[in-house]
Amino acid sequence: MTVTSDKIPAPRTQQSGGIMKVLKSPTFARLLFPVAVIAFWYAGVGVIKAIWPFAVDVLPLPQEVVGAMWNEIIDPFVDGNQAPTRDNLYITFAISLFRLISGFLIAMVLGTIIGLGMGLSKAVDAFFHDWVMAILAMPALGWALFISLVFGFGNLGPILAVILTGIPFVIVNVREGVRNTPRELFDMARAFGVKRNRTTRHVLVPAMMPFFFAAIRYAFSIGWKGLVITEVFGGQDGAGWTLKFYYDAHRAHGVVGYAAFFIIFALLLERFVFERWSQRVFKWRPQAGGVETVEQAFDVAGTSGAMASATFVTGADVEDFEDENN
Amino acid sequence: MATPVIEEQTSRITEEELAKQARRKELLSRWFWRILGYVVFLGLWEFASGRVLEENLLPGPIRVFQTFGDLWADGTVLPAFGATLTRLFIGFGLSFLVGTIVGVISQNRWWDGFFKDATIISLTAPGLIWVLITAVIFGNRVYGPLIAIILTTFGLVTINVYEGVRSLPKDLIDMGKAFHVSKLGIQRNVVLPHLAPFLFTGLRFGFSIAWKVTVLTEIFASSSGIGFQMRIAQTLFKQDEVLTWILWFFFFALFLEKVVLQAFERRYFRWRQAVEAA
Repeated sequence: MTVTSDKIPAPRTQQSGGIMKVLKSPTFARLLFPVAVIAFWYAGVGVIKAIWPFAVDVLPLPQEVVGAMWNEIIDPFVDGNQAPTRDNLYITFAISLFRLISGFLIAMVLGTIIGLGMGLSKAVDAFFHDWVMAILAMPALGWALFISLVFGFGNLGPILAVILTGIPFVIVNVREGVRNTPRELFDMARAFGVKRNRTTRHVLVPAMMPFFFAAIRYAFSIGWKGLVITEVFGGQDGAGWTLKFYYDAHRAHGVVGYAAFFIIFALLLERFVFERWSQRVFKWRPQAGGVETVEQAFDVAGTSGAMASATFVTGADVEDFEDENN
Repeated sequence: MATPVIEEQTSRITEEELAKQARRKELLSRWFWRILGYVVFLGLWEFASGRVLEENLLPGPIRVFQTFGDLWADGTVLPAFGATLTRLFIGFGLSFLVGTIVGVISQNRWWDGFFKDATIISLTAPGLIWVLITAVIFGNRVYGPLIAIILTTFGLVTINVYEGVRSLPKDLIDMGKAFHVSKLGIQRNVVLPHLAPFLFTGLRFGFSIAWKVTVLTEIFASSSGIGFQMRIAQTLFKQDEVLTWILWFFFFALFLEKVVLQAFERRYFRWRQAVEAA
C-alpha cells in the first residue's frame, strides 16, 4: 500500500514472452487504473444519459474537468480571467496553507505544554483528561458550524479550527511520550545527581521524539481537514471556500476539478514531505519485524493516511505497540 | 512470645491501612482535580457567554442544555437519528463490502497494483470533496450520500484487510492446497478466520469516519437527518440549536462507538479466547 512497496522486485512470471510479462506486472495494473476509471466514467455517463436521464443533475465529462483544472493552473500566467474564481489557484492554496501552518504551530506549542503537564502531574492529567477526550472525539464539522457563526469570515475562525482539531492529538501523543520515558533512567539520573534540565535534555526529549513526530503528522493532516470544512462554512477565500464556490455555482466540472487539486495537494504533502522526513528522522530505528498485533500491522504498513483520517485513533497507542515489539 | 507476633500483626495492618489510605487519598485528589476541570471549563464557557461574546453567538451551557431538553420534547430528535442511522448503515455496509472485496482480491499482485492508488486516494482525500461532488451530481437523491460514504471509508477497510492478507498463514494455505481443499474452502476456513481481527479494526476505524461523513452529506444533500437539522439551525442563526445538535451528534457517536461497538468487540473477543483455550 505504500510507495516503498514499489521497490519490491516483481515476481518472476513465466518466461512466455515480453508482452504477457508486461501485462501481468503490478506496475502495469497500477497504470491501468486511471485508464479504467476514465473508461468507466465515459461509459457510466453514456449509460445513465441513455436509460435514466433524470437520475442525476449534471454529469461532467473528463475533458470538462481537465479543462477546468487547466484554466485554474494557467490563470495567473495569461491575460484575462481564465478561471471564474476570485483568487487564482496558487494564492488560494497559499492562503489555506498559511492558516494551516499558523494554527498548527499554535496547537503544537499549547498542546506540548498541556501534554507535558498531563504526563508529569496526575492532578493536571485529571483536570484536563475528559475535556481532551471530548475535543478529540468532536468532529471537525461541529467546530466548523460553530466557528463560522461566531467568528465570521476572517482568518481567526479557520485558524481556530485548525487548533481545535489538531491540539488533542498533540496533547495525547506528548502525554503518552512522557509516560513512555524509561523510569529507570530518571531514577538513575536522580541517583547520580544530574540536574533537572540536563535530564530533560538527554532522557525526556529523545524518548519523546517518536511521539512528537506522530503528533506533528496527525495534527497537520487532521488540521487540514478541519480547516477545509471551516472554510466551506465560514470563509471568503481559501481552498475550502473555492470548492464551495464551484458547488454554489453548480459547476460540476469545477467541483470535481478542484477536488482533484485537493487530492494532489494531500498526496504531495504525504509523499514528499512526511514520508521523506520520517524516513530520515527514524533511520536509526531498527526495522519493525513481523506483523504481530493488529494495531502494529496498521502502523507498520505506513498507513499514515489511514491514521490521519481516523479521528478516534491516537497515534500514541499505536506507538506504544510498536515500542513494545521492537 | 505472644507480644512480638501481635506487634508484627499490628504493624502489617497499619501498613495495609497506610497503603489503602494512600490509594484513597490519590483517588480523592484525582476526583477533586477532575471535578475542578469540569467546573473551570463549564464556568469559563458560561462566563464567556454574554460577556466575552454575545449570548446569541455563544449560548452558555445552561441554555444549551435547556435547548437539549426542548428539542427532545419536540420529537425532532428521534426521526433525525433514525434517518441518519439508516443512511449510515446502508452506506457503511456497502463500503465495508466493497473494501473487503478489494482487500481480498488484492491477494493477487496484479489487482493489488490496480487498486493501490484508489486506496491511497480514499485514505488521503477529505470526505468533504466526495460529499460536494456527489451532491452536485446527484442533488438530493439517495445515491449521492451513499456513494460519498463508500468512497471515503472503503480505503480504511481495504488497508486493514490487505494487511491481514499480507500476513496470511502461508503454511496453512499450502497445506490446504496439498490436501486438495477447494479455493473457496480455503477462503472460508483459513483466510476468513485469519482476517477477522483485521476486519474488525477496519470496521472500527471506518465507522468513526463514516458517521462524520454521513452527517456532512446530510448537510449538503438531504432533507432529513441530524446534518439537515444542523444546517437549518445554522441558516436560521440559532446558535443554541446548532450547539445542541452538535452535542446530540456527539453523544450519539460516542454511544455507537463506546457502547455498541465495544459490546460487539467484547463478544468477538470472547469467541477468540474460547478458541485459544480449546
